[in-house]
Amino acid sequence: MLETVSLSKAFDSTLALDNVSLRVEPGEIYCLLGANGAGKTTLINVFLNFVTPTRGTARVNGVDVTQAPLQTKRDIAYIPEQVMLYGVLSGLENLRYFAALATGTKAPRDELLRLLAQAGLDATAAERRVSTYSKGMRQKVGIAIALAKNAKALLLDEPTSGLDPKAAAEFSQLLRNARDAGVAVLTTTHDLFHAKQTGSRIGIMRQGRLVAELKSADLSHADLEALYLEHMK
Amino acid sequence: MSARLIAQREFTELWRDGRLLLAGGLVLVLLATALAVGWQQQRSTDAERRAAQALDYDDWLKQDARHPHDAAHQGLHVFKPEPPLSIIDPGITPYVGTTIWLQSHKQSELRFRPAQDATGLQRFGSLSVAWVLQVLAPLLVIVLGFNAFAGEREQGTLRQTLSLGVSPRQLLWGKALALLAGLALFLLPAVLAAGAAVGLSAQGADAWWRLGALVLGYGLYIAIAVFGVLAVSALASTSRMALIVLLALWIAGATLAPRAVSDLASHLYPSPSRQAFNQQLEGDLHTAYTRAWKDQLGTDKRWGATLPLNRWGEALRVDDEAGYGVSDQHFGALWDAFAQQQRLQEWAGLAVPLLALRAYSMGLAGTDFSAHRHFSTAAETQRRTMQDLISDDLVAHADPLGNQHFSYQAGKALWAKVGRFEYRAVSAAEALRANLRSLGVLAFGFVAALLFAVWAAGVRKP
Repeated sequence: MLETVSLSKAFDSTLALDNVSLRVEPGEIYCLLGANGAGKTTLINVFLNFVTPTRGTARVNGVDVTQAPLQTKRDIAYIPEQVMLYGVLSGLENLRYFAALATGTKAPRDELLRLLAQAGLDATAAERRVSTYSKGMRQKVGIAIALAKNAKALLLDEPTSGLDPKAAAEFSQLLRNARDAGVAVLTTTHDLFHAKQTGSRIGIMRQGRLVAELKSADLSHADLEALYLEHMK
Repeated sequence: MSARLIAQREFTELWRDGRLLLAGGLVLVLLATALAVGWQQQRSTDAERRAAQALDYDDWLKQDARHPHDAAHQGLHVFKPEPPLSIIDPGITPYVGTTIWLQSHKQSELRFRPAQDATGLQRFGSLSVAWVLQVLAPLLVIVLGFNAFAGEREQGTLRQTLSLGVSPRQLLWGKALALLAGLALFLLPAVLAAGAAVGLSAQGADAWWRLGALVLGYGLYIAIAVFGVLAVSALASTSRMALIVLLALWIAGATLAPRAVSDLASHLYPSPSRQAFNQQLEGDLHTAYTRAWKDQLGTDKRWGATLPLNRWGEALRVDDEAGYGVSDQHFGALWDAFAQQQRLQEWAGLAVPLLALRAYSMGLAGTDFSAHRHFSTAAETQRRTMQDLISDDLVAHADPLGNQHFSYQAGKALWAKVGRFEYRAVSAAEALRANLRSLGVLAFGFVAALLFAVWAAGVRKP
């Protein structure tokens, strides 16, 4: 579903991605771990065609993202670390706009409110302008947009940073629901616990290279932490 | 679908952040003021003109019996009619005047230039609908559109939007649509008001065709501004950078370029100063008169005692006809130089669309130099008709005694032979044909701005 083959990206002289090959199958949650600057966000950007790879290819549903970027983006829902919305519009208006752009149809109001509730946003907040929102509330609108898109693949760039523990737990549940519905999920995170809890597979990146890939069922939280620290040395 | 959604959202944003209402409202107030001033001015000058024209001709007809040449020295005045669309674009009217004194011997220029009587404050800038649209409308587009792409890039909403699989081109159409809708909200009422004013003062369909052509020209101009602003905004990394670049372009286009191009035009196609022109004309006229008198009347001295008075009617005709060609040549060369300067300005519209639009707007409003020339030519034809009639009459009544030339008196029958001066301006179709070059330049500018914007929207990653 989501696939890279020998993917490299050079910015001037530094290699942000160095020969990365990975695959995320439908019904799988793949957690990418790594320090800041390890290349995780660059990898996400390649899938969105916001960054053009120097070598190698990235495919969504078998289609090269540089060949048909609009088509591949229709199969992806993306939630960045900080969801950016229009401040003078309400949460509901933002969702209505982005959902209509993503799906090509205008969803009815109660459908949109249901999505916001599912993402954990309080119904009273939905009508307020987004400029009054906390980061967590924006994040929930972003989740609702992704839900509305009903995509075959999810790209998440540290989606739970800024969410309180309860919201993060609810979010993990949403991810598992998506996985069970056959969605391929690629998420970057710093949160080893979250990775162990929700991930089906875990990849560790360092200086642009994918240095380890493991099944989360095969190891305990302590094992993962030890392994991660080992690779960061 | 996407473009419409984007346009709706963009419009809502413009409306809610108050920019649209403030900037657009200001421009609307200015347009309404300019229109009211233009209408009031046109009505008063037109009424004055009609009254003066009628009175002047009546005075001519009512002259008592007198020597025809005396009558020709008194002459006639002709008044340039205000074209209906001078409400929108007064063009060069304030600088070239509205009245010509038709008298014997001499081709006159127009007199009574409002700019001559203007106080310092009026000189500072005459507020017209054309000026507001040409100079301030692009500024309005800049204020509304400078952050269209750059602002979203800063906020991060551009990433969010493009991650959904929206094409940059659709984003561009949506933003352009929103800007055009915002502008239409404030400019359309002005167009309707202008239409109503034109409808009140104009007779016939001609003015409507001209108004339609003006709407087309200004529409192209505003579309150039919209796509130009969006292109710069799409290329700029921050909205602050976009604003600085756009304001710099606006200042260069609205203030520096017109002056520079006009200097360049008068350098390449020099036109003489008024004094030099008059001196040369006088000199050449003198030579022509001297030769004509020598060849055809056999004397060196113009209007001297050597020529018997009973040949003075004939002499008048010889003298006039010698002058006509020289005048035509000098005025023709002067006006051709002006026309060449104008043509250069129109071509410069490829770089600065304002210059092409200014020429086009004046041309279609009937207030440009070629309209002035057309009127001056018609007036001169009328003067020559009067002159020829009088010379013919004097020849026909040449005094057989040889010394009673000045005792001859003509009556009302002769005065009535000089017809009433009825000026017909060129038709809308002819005006459009004469201004196809600037319209073509504007159309080219529109296509170029459109392609530039399409390229710019797609070239930069969010």
